[in-house]
Amino acid sequence: MAESKNSGEIFIDVWNEPSIFPTLSIDEQDLFLRIARKAGLLSRFCYILDAAQITETLTTKVQNHLQGARFVAQEDARMLRWEVNRIQRALIETELPLILLKGAAYLMSDLPMAQGRLVADVDILCNKADIAKVEELLSKNGWQGVELEPYDQRYYRDWMHEIPPMRHGERLTEVDVHHAILPKTGRLNPDSELLIRDIVPVKGENNIYTLSRVDMTLHGVVHLFYDSDFDKGLRGLTDMDGLFRHFGKSEIFWQQLIPRAVELNLVRPLYYALQTVADIVATPIPKWVQDEIKVHAPIRPIGWLMTILIQRMMIPNHPEERDFISWLAWFLLFIRSHWLRMPPGLLFKHLTNKWVRKWRFDVRNRRTV
Amino acid sequence: MNIADLSRGELTNRLKGPGLRWRSGPFSIHLKNSINQFTDYLTLIYGGHPVIEEPWKDIADFHIQLTTNSNYRRFWRPQVFFQLDGVKHLAPFPRDHAPPMFEWGWNFSIAGRANHFLILHNAVIAKGDRAMLLPGIPGSGKSTLCAAMALKGWRLLSDEFALLQPESGLVFPTARPVALKNQSIEIIRDFSKDALLGPDFSKTRKGTVAHMRPPDASIKLMEQPARPTWVVSPSYQEGQSAILEQIPKEHAFLLVAANAFNYETLGDNAFKAVARVVRESTIFNFRYSNLEEAVATLEMMTQNDEAQQKP
Repeated sequence: MAESKNSGEIFIDVWNEPSIFPTLSIDEQDLFLRIARKAGLLSRFCYILDAAQITETLTTKVQNHLQGARFVAQEDARMLRWEVNRIQRALIETELPLILLKGAAYLMSDLPMAQGRLVADVDILCNKADIAKVEELLSKNGWQGVELEPYDQRYYRDWMHEIPPMRHGERLTEVDVHHAILPKTGRLNPDSELLIRDIVPVKGENNIYTLSRVDMTLHGVVHLFYDSDFDKGLRGLTDMDGLFRHFGKSEIFWQQLIPRAVELNLVRPLYYALQTVADIVATPIPKWVQDEIKVHAPIRPIGWLMTILIQRMMIPNHPEERDFISWLAWFLLFIRSHWLRMPPGLLFKHLTNKWVRKWRFDVRNRRTV
Repeated sequence: MNIADLSRGELTNRLKGPGLRWRSGPFSIHLKNSINQFTDYLTLIYGGHPVIEEPWKDIADFHIQLTTNSNYRRFWRPQVFFQLDGVKHLAPFPRDHAPPMFEWGWNFSIAGRANHFLILHNAVIAKGDRAMLLPGIPGSGKSTLCAAMALKGWRLLSDEFALLQPESGLVFPTARPVALKNQSIEIIRDFSKDALLGPDFSKTRKGTVAHMRPPDASIKLMEQPARPTWVVSPSYQEGQSAILEQIPKEHAFLLVAANAFNYETLGDNAFKAVARVVRESTIFNFRYSNLEEAVATLEMMTQNDEAQQKP
């Protein structure tokens, strides 16, 4: 008997070759759908399977789940376009460009990877000097800063690269206003001025911009490797794959990528990203790019360890259970992401504060049950 | 084979091992559970539901697990947790409230997941393939009324969800138990000797809750959708004699749409589906207090309606 595949392997196989999906056993399809749903990628797959023209060959139930996910993604896209429109309106009296990041940028620039991509909020970027103005205009137009404990307020204001999320009073949607793509306290500190200098207008829109395609990709890279949000690892991975595949059709993109990463001081995360997508999802990356990025690899043992950890983290063995090794991988990467975010003293203070609060919260909760 | 046809040992083995799979209308569920008292409930209330014997033919819509504490709380005020796809949802209940936890959790799962339907927060009953939707706020008596109608020979589709398929405009049954609350429990016990009720669970979020097993005839027809024909918005008012008031269609749209869980998710599909229900149904406000009288009034209205339909 052939050894049965775990859900991560099934996921990767289907991602690389969607047309094999109908040939999987029902059990494997079931596992696949659960892992995709958990990663927030079920709706992405609707569109991928549609494009491969195989949706109609699937069982009724599978089609129903895909249809449900498709509706959710369509709602997200409608919401996102409307929110961008509202933010544009709120900022209309300033000369400030509205610079979209991440999901909003992918959708408004009509990237293929935006089809079916779920989004929770809108991320925008502005100069640090303009933060107060943007915050004021958003407040005047119905958004309010989310109420936070004083510690969290300080966490955002003093150390982070964004202000506390602004939530709209009626629609309850959130805007994250960034002045950088990495925390102020972090080891790497790409200059936002450089990013803003290269912004690109969104076609057919007035005063809406995205980062240049190289910067957009590097931001995705940073997001994947310098955030502690690893549970969304698969999603980050598919985003990277989507960006590299789409922009990578142009030779110029590849010529600009590494020099720009050097300029922004982001070569190390770029190294990990290129390695990971090439290893796991077989993203086509030109040979010369692969060779050139190797110069920026970390020392051997670290490189090996990271490869193992990243693979463990990105590819869940099972939709429901996390084994010890995966847990350990998560823990080490969590520590690493924080390590990169702030100097040790501050890190110690921050984690102590978080854990004390969590403990207090647990105790309070238990009393009320 | 139905759940009640499995021996207790077999049922327990499946629930504790690979999980039990069964069908409820358009949904299939895969449940794992190790709480013995819940197994009693399952046999009694879901006994008439068909077990899925060929799980390799289609996926399960819901992978649900009821678990209990693994630490010291196993012995001291133990709890039950609801898990969907391995993720805990909702605040836990005391362990002896596993059945209401399960029903609430499954409702939560359907409301969040079954987005290929427009999901209205309605009770639904039907005569043949003509469905009556009962929208209503909690406390309006929709569950009680739908239990009573089901006991008088109407087909029970659901006491919680009208699952409206946007393409066809048909409403699909779930054929799950009716959750009766507080006084309704006694009222339904007194209403008919055919009412098969599970144990009372007191001090839940909604007071005391008991579940009525769906009539076997309703389970038999659970694969058959029905056409929305009447929308009756009930409101229980003490001492009120039963009065049906037809609502003009232009006022009825919001009555139907406002009860949807996922109206915005389905966008224009939701608008069209609601418009079709409003266009093709007769819509009433319904005030009542006495259940016998209420059932008789609705029976009469539908019979007159059917008589008029015939040439």
